Amino acid sequence: MSRLLTEVRRSPLLAVGVVVVTVLATVAVLAPYIAPFDPKAIVGNALEEPSSRHLLGTNDAGADIFSELVWGARSTLVVAASATALVLAIGVLLGLVAGLRGGVVETLVMRSADVVLAIPAIPLLIFIASMAGPSRTVAIVSIGLLGWPQVARVVRSQTLSLRNRGFVHAARGYGADPLFVMRRHLLPALGPIIAANLAFMAGLAVTIEAGLAFIGLGDPTTASWGAILERALRHQAIYVTSMWVWWLLPAGLAITVAVLGFTFIGVGLEPRFNPRWTRFA
Amino acid sequence: MSALLDVSDLRVAYGGDVHALRGVSFSLDRGESLAVVGESGSGKSTLAMSLAGLIQPPDAGGSVRVDGQELLGATGDLLRTLRWDRVALCLQNAPFNPVATVGDQVAEPLRDRRGMSRSAARRRVEALAEQVSLDPALMGRYPHQLSGGERRRAYLAMALVLEPDLVVLDEPTAGLDPATRHDLVAHIAGLTSSHGFALVVVSHDLPDATRMADRTMVLYAGEAMEYGATRRVLQSPAHPYSWALVNTFPVMSTTKDLRPIRGHGPDPRAVPPGCPFHPRCTQVEPICWEEHADLRESRGRQVACHFGGVKTLLAAVGVHKTFVDGRRRVRAVRGVSFTLQEGESIGLVGPSGSGKSTLARMVTGHLDPDGGEVWLEEEVVTASWRKDARRLRRRIQLVMQDPWDALSPRLPVAELVAEPLLFADDPPGPKERLVAVEEALDGVGLPTSGEFLGARTHELSGGQLQRVALARALVIKPKVLVADEPTAMLDASEQARLLVVLRERQTEMGLGLVIISHDLAVVRKVTDRMVILDAGRVVEEGPSNVVSTVPASATGMSLLKWAPTFSIGADASGQEQAVGERVAEWPSDSR
Repeated sequence: MSRLLTEVRRSPLLAVGVVVVTVLATVAVLAPYIAPFDPKAIVGNALEEPSSRHLLGTNDAGADIFSELVWGARSTLVVAASATALVLAIGVLLGLVAGLRGGVVETLVMRSADVVLAIPAIPLLIFIASMAGPSRTVAIVSIGLLGWPQVARVVRSQTLSLRNRGFVHAARGYGADPLFVMRRHLLPALGPIIAANLAFMAGLAVTIEAGLAFIGLGDPTTASWGAILERALRHQAIYVTSMWVWWLLPAGLAITVAVLGFTFIGVGLEPRFNPRWTRFA
Repeated sequence: MSALLDVSDLRVAYGGDVHALRGVSFSLDRGESLAVVGESGSGKSTLAMSLAGLIQPPDAGGSVRVDGQELLGATGDLLRTLRWDRVALCLQNAPFNPVATVGDQVAEPLRDRRGMSRSAARRRVEALAEQVSLDPALMGRYPHQLSGGERRRAYLAMALVLEPDLVVLDEPTAGLDPATRHDLVAHIAGLTSSHGFALVVVSHDLPDATRMADRTMVLYAGEAMEYGATRRVLQSPAHPYSWALVNTFPVMSTTKDLRPIRGHGPDPRAVPPGCPFHPRCTQVEPICWEEHADLRESRGRQVACHFGGVKTLLAAVGVHKTFVDGRRRVRAVRGVSFTLQEGESIGLVGPSGSGKSTLARMVTGHLDPDGGEVWLEEEVVTASWRKDARRLRRRIQLVMQDPWDALSPRLPVAELVAEPLLFADDPPGPKERLVAVEEALDGVGLPTSGEFLGARTHELSGGQLQRVALARALVIKPKVLVADEPTAMLDASEQARLLVVLRERQTEMGLGLVIISHDLAVVRKVTDRMVILDAGRVVEEGPSNVVSTVPASATGMSLLKWAPTFSIGADASGQEQAVGERVAEWPSDSR
């Protein structure tokens, strides 16, 4: 934690990212208390303009847009966090195993990574979502299955260099098993890199989640930013009046800010931990 | 036809419970010589006295025959006629009577037994004095007027005066200066062949004893551990005890520091069961205390060891390693073979890039060779993750060149050192672990305070770190320690401390030690043998003193030429000149 604080002091970008993500997380956690209405309920007339009752007005069905936005933070973060966790779990494990074992295992893992990377992600996601039906779980699992190669690659390359460090050799020399070496010597050393990747993956997950919802493949039962965009843009007269300012813009901005927040964290951490940067720093 | 002296199963137990000799057998003929060597308390003097019939039943058992006549249980009359006439025993301290001249005392047996006249006896004594290179004029003096060496030579003359068949010398050279000692040894050796008597020399002084005798018996706790030709026994001792004994000797032919035998000498009151040397031996196995080891033919001599002598601990057999870097192939190690004996310390020396470190990593199972094998006792060392391979690797530990790299910067000292213990067959609990860690740190001369145990690598000096790494390697009590340039990153004083610690630990734990370095000066201080590597091949191999003084290979010569010396203002090729300069500078220095 103190380490994070020193990093924050070093990089303003990181500071901004941390603030944004913290605000986002707070809003997501406190959604029931912040949002004045149930985001799915019809609580007013259709297409009301912003007022003290409806801060961002209502949509064409008469639901409160502000409440929808607040609850959308929650669903966005849930997807981002779960998908990122899944990506990291798969990526770190495969990367470690590939780097440490080498040989056939490594070839297998890295070639699979190449294959997955070569697959165009969005069409596949659309395919999966349309086959499996739109649900949050499907989104999370799809992102997890598609995102791991990047993490696995970074972790593997780091493992390859760590594997040749004296303390890892020594550990093998006194009979340590691979799991111990990973736990005790590799994971702690990989921590910062994993943290940086975590931030980037989270940003990516936010975009993908919003994207899926935007093309109508989001979970219809939960409020999400992508769903707001989708509904707003389906409305024929969105640009006819100024309603896009409070209906379309806030959700779009929310997505942008969230992604930027995560990305800033990643970028802020990267110079410290990306070996390609530190080598010349 | 039996030999002149025939000793079989000689046992001596003083008062029934002090077992000085426990079944010694050998035979000796005229013109032959035997050196009996061993530490104090090994039963050497008892053996000498038994040969002169000075120890009789009930203390003594077995048989001592001189020319077929049994000495044990013989009558006083028989013994009297045998002594001096047939068997001459020279005791350690040359006991002359202080109130008679030396000449008279030497002549006494002649007059007493042979009934010679005074003048004939004197002539005979003077002739004898010359044979032992003593000035005949000294014969008229009193014992206290002679030096120790002269007195000893006179005593030798006295032993020879009746031309005995068997001469037994007990510590003939103890307390003499080197020149006198050398003379005396040369004379005794010469007399053996010219007079044709059988000689038994009992001594704890290995080099002297063995220069006088063509056969050697190593005695320990009243038993023969090794018995065979002196050259063999001394140059390549087979029994772990003979090996250790040879290593304790301060002789000019080794450059290494002295190495005491671990533990204490045997107590004749409580001789250990099985092989008496097992409590101090480094290669013990249960059979060593369960069964007695009899003298058996092994390696061209007789050895009383269940394993036929010192075991080969580590053997690299034709080890190859080629690194492929893109299209470039680097043949780092090209068929290297070497062996390491139990308790031995060898140096792998060579210039940078000679494949030393690669070899070290292969030998310790950090890297698999492309070809060839590394044997640790009866198993092949590999870098596999398999359980048996991992267990085997625990017995051969590597101390790396760079302690900053070898120790994880994330962990405190206590955890670093304790880590290997986690993989023991029955892992110790946290408390035992702490005890083991403290013991290991103490063993390498590091503090065991809580503060130190909690320190991280960046808080310690290079020397301390290297000793932490050493403690970590030793905490699981390996059989072999491989140290790859262990002092390369340390300053001279830290280097000296580390080397001292390394040697101490080696003696104490009976480690096989492989030191890898390009520094001849360091390696010759801690090793028995050296293997010189160049371009991945062994170019020379031999005793450290030889390799470090008169190397035969070009690589060895270049290593020697550029080895560090203190010749100021000159390179090694101008060493003599430099010394001369320094001597010339002294007066101005001392002002």
